[in-house]
Amino acid sequence: MASAVFPRQKPRFLPDINEKSSVKASLHGKEMKKPNRGSAERERIQTTTMNADEIAQFRYSLHQNLCVSMLQEGFHGSFKKFSSLLQRWKDERLAAGPDSELWLQRSLEEQPDKLEMLREHLTRAEAAQRADQFVEVYESHLALAKFFSEPEDMWLRHHFYKLGLKAARKVKTDSSRREAEASEHLAHLYLERGDLELAQEHFEMFHHLAVGQSWQDESGHTHLSRACESLCRVYTLLAQRQLQCGEYRAAIQLLNQAYEMAKEAGDKTLEGEAVYRVGLAYQSMGSQTTAKQFLNMFMEISTALGDMESLGKAYKAIAKSLESEDKISDAIEHLQKYLEVCQENNQHENRQDAYMCLGSIHISRAQYERGCEYFTQAFEMACSLDSNPCIEKAQLCVGIARAHSMLRVYTSHLQINKPPNVSTLISWKETKEDKFHETLCEFAGSTHCS
Amino acid sequence: MSMSISPLANPKGTKKLCELCQKPAYLQCTKCRVTFYCDVAHQQADWNSIHEKVCELLSSIRTPAPFSCFQADRDIHHMQTLKRLEHITQLSHAAAKSWVSEGKYSEAVPAAQLSLRCAIDIYGRDVVELVPAYLLLAEASIGLGSLSQAESCLSQAEWMVMKNPGCSRTVLHLLHRTLGHLHSAKGDYSTALLHFANDVYYASEEFGLDSVVTARGYFLMANVFMKQEKTDITNSLYSEVASIWHAHLSKLMECYSQKEHEGAQYFDVAQCAEVNQMLSVMLEAQQQDVNTHPAYSTTTFNSLGQRALLSHSLAILWFLCNDHKKALEFGRKAAEFSQQCEHNSLAESIQDLIQQAETHLNPEQTPIIHH
Repeated sequence: MASAVFPRQKPRFLPDINEKSSVKASLHGKEMKKPNRGSAERERIQTTTMNADEIAQFRYSLHQNLCVSMLQEGFHGSFKKFSSLLQRWKDERLAAGPDSELWLQRSLEEQPDKLEMLREHLTRAEAAQRADQFVEVYESHLALAKFFSEPEDMWLRHHFYKLGLKAARKVKTDSSRREAEASEHLAHLYLERGDLELAQEHFEMFHHLAVGQSWQDESGHTHLSRACESLCRVYTLLAQRQLQCGEYRAAIQLLNQAYEMAKEAGDKTLEGEAVYRVGLAYQSMGSQTTAKQFLNMFMEISTALGDMESLGKAYKAIAKSLESEDKISDAIEHLQKYLEVCQENNQHENRQDAYMCLGSIHISRAQYERGCEYFTQAFEMACSLDSNPCIEKAQLCVGIARAHSMLRVYTSHLQINKPPNVSTLISWKETKEDKFHETLCEFAGSTHCS
Repeated sequence: MSMSISPLANPKGTKKLCELCQKPAYLQCTKCRVTFYCDVAHQQADWNSIHEKVCELLSSIRTPAPFSCFQADRDIHHMQTLKRLEHITQLSHAAAKSWVSEGKYSEAVPAAQLSLRCAIDIYGRDVVELVPAYLLLAEASIGLGSLSQAESCLSQAEWMVMKNPGCSRTVLHLLHRTLGHLHSAKGDYSTALLHFANDVYYASEEFGLDSVVTARGYFLMANVFMKQEKTDITNSLYSEVASIWHAHLSKLMECYSQKEHEGAQYFDVAQCAEVNQMLSVMLEAQQQDVNTHPAYSTTTFNSLGQRALLSHSLAILWFLCNDHKKALEFGRKAAEFSQQCEHNSLAESIQDLIQQAETHLNPEQTPIIHH
């Protein structure tokens, strides 16, 4: 040990004659040192030696390493998809410009877990594709699509659902169950994105494939019923869009389709709602008799289901139809039923609504007193519910009703224009008491008769 | 042309060395008087390769600078020399490249050496500008089978690239391609694949995923996989290459028909030979595939489509190279294949091509075979 250290401490100008050469001496020194090294140090040296792969991991970006490793294993298709996806994101970002949300998002290249996932499933899909195992292809695409569940990755989800659908179409052995499921996924995505037409198309495909099959998911729902429910929803949404544009005929047609789907789904609640919507659409188009037919159906369904809230809704809607047909007494009757239903089931908000409806229908028939009564009740209900907008509305209506009820008497006083009338008016104006108009009412009535 | 000299008669301190092998020289080129050779064989080789083109240029740069008093004069002379050197580098590089692509590797070596030497004179050692010259030399050496020589050239090139981290992707792609060539020649297929993979990566970053440069990388990879007997990967790579080339050639064809027979040349002879070789190899591979697996109907079906595609590509290639007879031959082949497979989207363009080739052939009667 000492001999090894010695020449370093005292460097000589010329090499020592006894030693063969300085280079050899240092080599010799190394050899001497070696056995003294601790096993830990040796281990460190062993672990720090790296092969080309590890060096590449440090030197190059993850993106490059993944690309190269895919290519090296012969997965050129995966490489192509991988690169084109990244390129597509970049292009979209550039096209959107620095003001957009896209500009601030993290790029895929900065998210190593996503890149790794892409690589793994893409290569698996390609290997399966080469072996014509489309089930595997479909499943890897599906796994990728499910992995990209975040809202900003919707385009990726869309892409992989589409690929999954393509692969599922090639699977021949499962009587297109996978194709149906892939269509469903894609359709849900379109629905989420708001592309109702595309969603409709894919749900229809799903429905078409699911008809006559007894497929079930884990929770026991059949595919067919799910297809029908989703289609019902899509048709309803489409119809709402049409209604907003004022295209009632198209909307009604769509709503009828929705109703058919709801019937097929076998879900009574859904069916009831569909019928209700059809009824409302007819109502807004102005054909009250048809509307009433549908609303009666809704009423029957609701009674059968024992759904009191829906029943109330049905009564109210029918009353509205009757009112626009000028069958006021029938309308009032239905509204009374509505009120009863609400009272029986302690639905306070609906009850308040019922009072308001009753109030306004009486007002429209110039029965201000009755109207005023209902409105006051509505006001009290609103106060007990403690909902400000309702309170304000009720207050306003009470005020209007009172004013209307006073107006007739007040004008008759003015028209008569005799000292007692004038003095009563003056005194009323001074006190503004409520009692006044009740007495006045009788008085006015008597003067009217005479 | 040559004059013998004796090393003993050289002035003291100057060594006349052979242009090719750097041994003491016994011959001098009488035209330029600045290049020396150890024997006639070397002089002949150099003359054939590059010296004929650069003889006069060399004399001007290798004669010592005339004495001039002013710095300005010396600068001007220096600039002129640099310019000439650059010119020689380009000339010799181009010459070496064309020799290599024609497969005449022994002719390529002197030219590549000259190009490298001039490049060193201009740029100095260890700079990235030397990489192309080294790569050419390495490629020629691989062709000649002297792998150790190639390896040393390539490690030089790698070192230069390593020292200059910001060098362009084109350089990197070329480097990895040559490294891949070397390793596949050595039989180290996994390393070769690694390098070809890098090559494809850089090429796709630089030229795009669907460019023919990338396709060439795919083709080289496919050949390695073929040697590893992974036929499924080879086939899928071949079909990728075929589709890329078909798209490229179809686009060129469209350009051609729009420009109305201008004298534009789409491929030079070497390129044409390379593409032809590549496409023919793939066509043959498809043929063999059918012969070995006649049972699978799907594979024969696929391969028929592939063969139609490849024959069509070859037909377009020969058409663009003005060899209408061959174009017609391949066009008919393509038509035959495309009739056999069901969805023949190609049929129309194939018919179109055949007609064009016939119109070119018939008025001429005697077809000009372009070589």
